[in-house]
Amino acid sequence: MLQLIEPFMFGLLTVSILGAGLAVVLAPRITTSALAMAFAFLNVAGMFVLLGAETVAAFQVLIYVGAITVLILYGVMFTPQQPRAYGLFFQGQTPWGALLAALVALPVVIVAFTFVDAGVALEPGNDLRPLGTSVFRDFAFPFEVASLLLLAAMIGAIALVRREREIEEPPGAPHDPQRRGPRR
Amino acid sequence: MVEGPFGIDPVLWAVLRLAIAIVLVIALIMNGALLLIYLERKMQAVMQDRIGPYHVGPFGLLQTFADAIKLIAKEDVRASQTDATFFIAAPALVFSPMLAAFVVVPFAPPIVGADLSIGLLYLTTLGAMGVLGIVIAGWASNNKYALMGGLRSAGQLISYEIPQILSLVTAVLVLGTLSMVEITELQPGPITNIFVLPLAFVTFFMAALAETNRTPFDLPEAESELVAGYLTEYSGMRWGTMLALTEYGNVTIVCAIMTTLWFGGWNGPGVEAFPILGILWFTLKTYAFILVFMWIRATLPRLRIDQLMSFCWKGLIPLTLLNLGVTAALLLAFPDTLVPVAIANWLLLGAFALGLPALQRRRLRRIRARLGAGAMPAPRSAS
Repeated sequence: MLQLIEPFMFGLLTVSILGAGLAVVLAPRITTSALAMAFAFLNVAGMFVLLGAETVAAFQVLIYVGAITVLILYGVMFTPQQPRAYGLFFQGQTPWGALLAALVALPVVIVAFTFVDAGVALEPGNDLRPLGTSVFRDFAFPFEVASLLLLAAMIGAIALVRREREIEEPPGAPHDPQRRGPRR
Repeated sequence: MVEGPFGIDPVLWAVLRLAIAIVLVIALIMNGALLLIYLERKMQAVMQDRIGPYHVGPFGLLQTFADAIKLIAKEDVRASQTDATFFIAAPALVFSPMLAAFVVVPFAPPIVGADLSIGLLYLTTLGAMGVLGIVIAGWASNNKYALMGGLRSAGQLISYEIPQILSLVTAVLVLGTLSMVEITELQPGPITNIFVLPLAFVTFFMAALAETNRTPFDLPEAESELVAGYLTEYSGMRWGTMLALTEYGNVTIVCAIMTTLWFGGWNGPGVEAFPILGILWFTLKTYAFILVFMWIRATLPRLRIDQLMSFCWKGLIPLTLLNLGVTAALLLAFPDTLVPVAIANWLLLGAFALGLPALQRRRLRRIRARLGAGAMPAPRSAS
């Protein structure tokens, strides 16, 4: 009966991921979509745990639930809340959407049904060292290139939103040493 | 058929074990929160020359129990314009990561929920998950104060996560493992990690204060400007879960991390003979840190939000990055001994402790010079 737990968990996670994914697309409100997305991410982390990749699961939660979803919620909150505007997000383009989804799904299905067992199955909970060596030794260069790209994107974003001339702020009161004046 | 412990079927035992563990941890958190609130009130009372709670029970010991019963019995109030689902979901979203974090806390050699090989990473991950609940709580309340509180809190938590994780990474570089049990076993003697990495400890301590929304970083709950931040619309046990249980649970977790990483966890006299004694040492060490947290709360005033952010981004993050770089370089250069790392860490800590007041004074001088002698102090702009 213990062997049945893993398939059961797999089924539960699969249903949750698919359900959450559907909720992201179909939910009438954008915040519901964001939360459903966080739920989907959590379930994907569960999948990684089932595969014995606990570290990847932890990073999945740390980055996607802890950071990305929060950023998306920030974006939602700073967007004007008008019920009518949601129509823009959910236009009725079902045929085209179905075509695109089929185009993406086809390779996935082909790969899924022709997949042979992975060469090396990891012992659960031992993926830390393989992951570390592959990221920082075998794939160190692509990793650094990716971080350079992110750095460039960050500098670009800051340059885009930067004001040319700071508005003159009143300087800090003398009794308040902590007061930060405008940057010179 | 494999026999599980106590002759119980292993499948049933797995379920039973989970149930027992959850009940134990919830009892631990609830009682811990009740006692910590009492402790906090008494501590502050002593420091402020008051008596503190003393009406209910001997020495007022039952005061927080009475408060808890009041919270549970309270009517479930929800403003009509709040977002029902999210409003109800938020306390659970804040509470459950904290609850899950107790799995890897090493109380004593025989008492560890699960010895995960990535225990520390797991704790960091769960710490990051709490932000989501706070943002949702602030947004769902449909209240400007709550929204401001939630956003401030999210900004603060995301910012201070970086120095916190960088300090942990520095410690992990030296220790070479992420498992909480192995980390504890690496520091058996009186020479614990604190003598090697004092600066990482200090930066982690400051980041932890911010991560748990404690003074001087308790801006999300700044009552003079934000009513109660993201808690404004909450009452009854929802408020109790969000504030009391989660805050004190998180404080306990953070203090447990500090105990494990820098002060040898359960190690203490007599643990080899009676492993169960580890609980005593672990609890004592953890509560010592909790007492320091309370001491700080009774002593320090609250920072302003821009000071908070600039302290993190211009102070803590460069410092922790520098510490990480220096530690990594020294570990590569001297793989056999930790003495150079320790010397560098103590030197950096000294530079930090002495350099901060000097920097403050310089800035103050510059501000005074800019203001000139007879200038009228400008009104403070809202920030």
